[in-house]
Amino acid sequence: MLKFLYNFISSPKIFVYTVLWLMILVFFGTLAQKDIGLYASQMKYFSSYIFLFYDYIPLPGGRVTLLLMTLNLSSSLFRKTLWKIKKIGVIILHIGGLLLLLGGGVTAIFSSEGNMVIEEGGKVDYTDDYHRMELCFVNLSLQDSLEYTVFDEELLVEGNTISYDKLGLEIDIISRIKNTRIQNRITEVDSVYKGFLKQFVLLPKEPEKENTQNRPSLIFRIRGSKNNADGIYGLFLGQKDLDIFNFKNEKFFSEFRKERTYLPFSIELLDFKKVLYPGTQVAKSFSSEINLIENEIPRRVLIQMNEPLRHMGYTFFQASFIEELKSESTVLAVVKNYGRLFPYISSIIMSIGLLVHLIINLPKMIKKNNSIKA
Amino acid sequence: MRFFKTLLILVFLIPLQSAYSFTVGDIPIQDEGRIKPLDTYARNYLLAFYGKRSIPELDLSATDWLLDLILDPAKGKNQKIFNIRNPEVVSSIFLDWSTDHKYSFNQVLPGLKKQTSLLKLIDDKPANTRTVFEKQLLELSLNIMRFEEISYLKSLKLIPSEISENHEEWISPFEFILNGIKPNEYQSKILNALQQYLASRMENDFIIMKSSLVDYEVALKSIPKNLFDIDNLKKERWLNQTNLFYISLAFYILSFMILGFNWMTRITFTRRISYALLLIGFFAHSYGIILRMIIMNRPPVSTLYESVLFVSFIVLLFAIILEYFRKDGLGIFIGAIGGSVFHFIGFGYAADGDTLNMLVAVLNSNFWLATHVTTITMGYGASLVAGFIGHLFLVESLRKSNDKAYLKSIFNSMFGVTLVALFFTLFGTILGGIWADQSWGRFWGWDPKENGALLIVLWQLMIIHMRLSGLAKPVDFALGMALNNIIVALAWFGVNLLQVGLHSYGFDDGVAKNLFIFIGFELIFSLGMYYLSKNNLKNELST
Repeated sequence: MLKFLYNFISSPKIFVYTVLWLMILVFFGTLAQKDIGLYASQMKYFSSYIFLFYDYIPLPGGRVTLLLMTLNLSSSLFRKTLWKIKKIGVIILHIGGLLLLLGGGVTAIFSSEGNMVIEEGGKVDYTDDYHRMELCFVNLSLQDSLEYTVFDEELLVEGNTISYDKLGLEIDIISRIKNTRIQNRITEVDSVYKGFLKQFVLLPKEPEKENTQNRPSLIFRIRGSKNNADGIYGLFLGQKDLDIFNFKNEKFFSEFRKERTYLPFSIELLDFKKVLYPGTQVAKSFSSEINLIENEIPRRVLIQMNEPLRHMGYTFFQASFIEELKSESTVLAVVKNYGRLFPYISSIIMSIGLLVHLIINLPKMIKKNNSIKA
Repeated sequence: MRFFKTLLILVFLIPLQSAYSFTVGDIPIQDEGRIKPLDTYARNYLLAFYGKRSIPELDLSATDWLLDLILDPAKGKNQKIFNIRNPEVVSSIFLDWSTDHKYSFNQVLPGLKKQTSLLKLIDDKPANTRTVFEKQLLELSLNIMRFEEISYLKSLKLIPSEISENHEEWISPFEFILNGIKPNEYQSKILNALQQYLASRMENDFIIMKSSLVDYEVALKSIPKNLFDIDNLKKERWLNQTNLFYISLAFYILSFMILGFNWMTRITFTRRISYALLLIGFFAHSYGIILRMIIMNRPPVSTLYESVLFVSFIVLLFAIILEYFRKDGLGIFIGAIGGSVFHFIGFGYAADGDTLNMLVAVLNSNFWLATHVTTITMGYGASLVAGFIGHLFLVESLRKSNDKAYLKSIFNSMFGVTLVALFFTLFGTILGGIWADQSWGRFWGWDPKENGALLIVLWQLMIIHMRLSGLAKPVDFALGMALNNIIVALAWFGVNLLQVGLHSYGFDDGVAKNLFIFIGFELIFSLGMYYLSKNNLKNELST
């Protein structure tokens, strides 16, 4: 029984079928990007274990397929027929391939990424997640510090009620809008609407294909303050003038923002430079001159296209920039990936393997008259 | 063999063009972000206006046309230089449709002026929502504007600016007059030489024309900073004029014709001639690629056009190696057909204008262009060669189904080339991942171009494993590699049609149509041949 199972899982046929299935996934996953955008398609077809075809039929996703392929490959390495000196190149090649798959697994599970937006002259010590949001309350009335209370993505679901225990408040999430249109109110409104919502309405609009181009917003009700802080509030991503409310003689404001991950150091942008080819609008290079500040000791670093900064397991890449009338901001992509060395090592191993195999076998193959089977 | 060695030496004796004297076509001009010879500049604009790189009807080269226009704008504006092929555009600017599609500046301008409000409307529309007519009308109005700017020297950025760094904009003679800029020492030297050249050209005084060009070169060499290499300008002008890729195409076609003669007559000597012609074509082809690398100081492939040139170079290289070992015409056949087809595709891309463009920031890395892009393009080339042998195998297994040894030898060549192809596509793809890891922080992002390359790798892995595990017979393998061509074409050109992701460059409807025709042809041909040869096999067994 066990032997049968082993023979089954290590069979080249399994490899052929998983590769075929992976090709189908890749093909349709690529076509789908035109309609649902790169991120959504990646989540559905490649980063999933199981996905639903036409909403009902469950099919194996990229992760299950690659897992099966890894099992198949690792078990096939134990086949006795493989371990011959003539096949040394093939063995090396497959070990390299296995490493590549394992590296992919490590990256898929453990890596994290986000970005960091810094204005010229500004200093930032956290990264923003690309997709996850958070609701944050800030207490402004403490003597020499700010107190942050943060509610995570998972809590910010329509219909959910969050209790803000410290202040004894209840927060009802009324609505979570993916992409927001902001419109002026025409008529006077009920006093239940607070701050920003007194003059504006937040309305949903057709979401963009790429999630990062959306402007999400959140509408929530605060209960239990026993004063006029009770009411409905609205917040959107990137809001400039935040509403301040009073509660128990302390001043608070709230913010709906991308989920932050704090770093053990901070980065200050000294200068962002964009060089164009003369007489054109085509960029020749982008670069950010920064100070990397750790334990209050600054170190000057230049980050540019194809030349990232690596520090404490984090890597900072020049990803984009924001040009405003008064100032420029740089956008750095920040990645922490424990699997990043795998492709480097495995590609070296694989190329050695394939080269060895080709050197042993190729001359026999391309000559016209011979009868050695490839 | 001695013949080839002599040939090889001869080819490398072609001087690297620095010994040529400085001509008016070599004058450096800054345009579209780079310093190019005036010859290239004139050719590109003439191509944009007129549709050709010279005016054969008047026996006028592009540079001559440009200089004539500058010296006598009044005459130039009456020259029928604008090629308008769309009757809708012609009637919209109140002109009568003529069979030669050519109109002069003075004919077009009044009509365009009447359509200013329409042009404004088109200009405000997002580029991807414009109709063909709107695009062409807008293009025409831009061309008219460019033409006028050339005619009074405004857009001719001929003079390096004072604070010359590499990304500083150059100054045109017109701007010196308009802004009253006082030229410094080398600037005035260049301006004087230019003035002298133009004046003597007006009077057809060839001696002074020559001496003023000598002055021009001296003036250029007196620029304290190293902004450009005069030798490279000369090389580029030489490359423009010799049309090396037309020469290589001619040799490939000739080689194919001689090979056909060889098949008919079976005279062994003709196969050698055919091989020699293929080699000569290949040398012209390689030399063209090498010159382009020297001129731009970058690796062979950085644009779609260059990928076409380089893939055909790889196809030829494989074909020549195959022929060297097999000596039966198979390699010549693949090389001559492949080389010719890719040259025609390449000419299609070159028709858009300058093929030596500057690169956007993320691509501007010679190390990664040299490693990833070159490797993956070699993979495309090797895959196509394997696919080509696959086609041949399918045909031959039908024609010579009894000659098992012959079929086996073709199969072995195909299998060998497939392994080489896998080597390049696999490592090209992994290197691409490593580049992405270096510049964007992720090894793999499921971007369409990445997925396209992955599809090729997976397909080849599958076919090879099917063969090794006995799931596929040689004829099935041949079918697999023949169909691999479709995947290569999709990965190479197809992903651009999706217009998503980081690699999306260069889209047009013509590509989509040709791609679908190609896929349809491949499917019908390969599956048809496969079906017939399977049937053949069955009949053989039953009788």
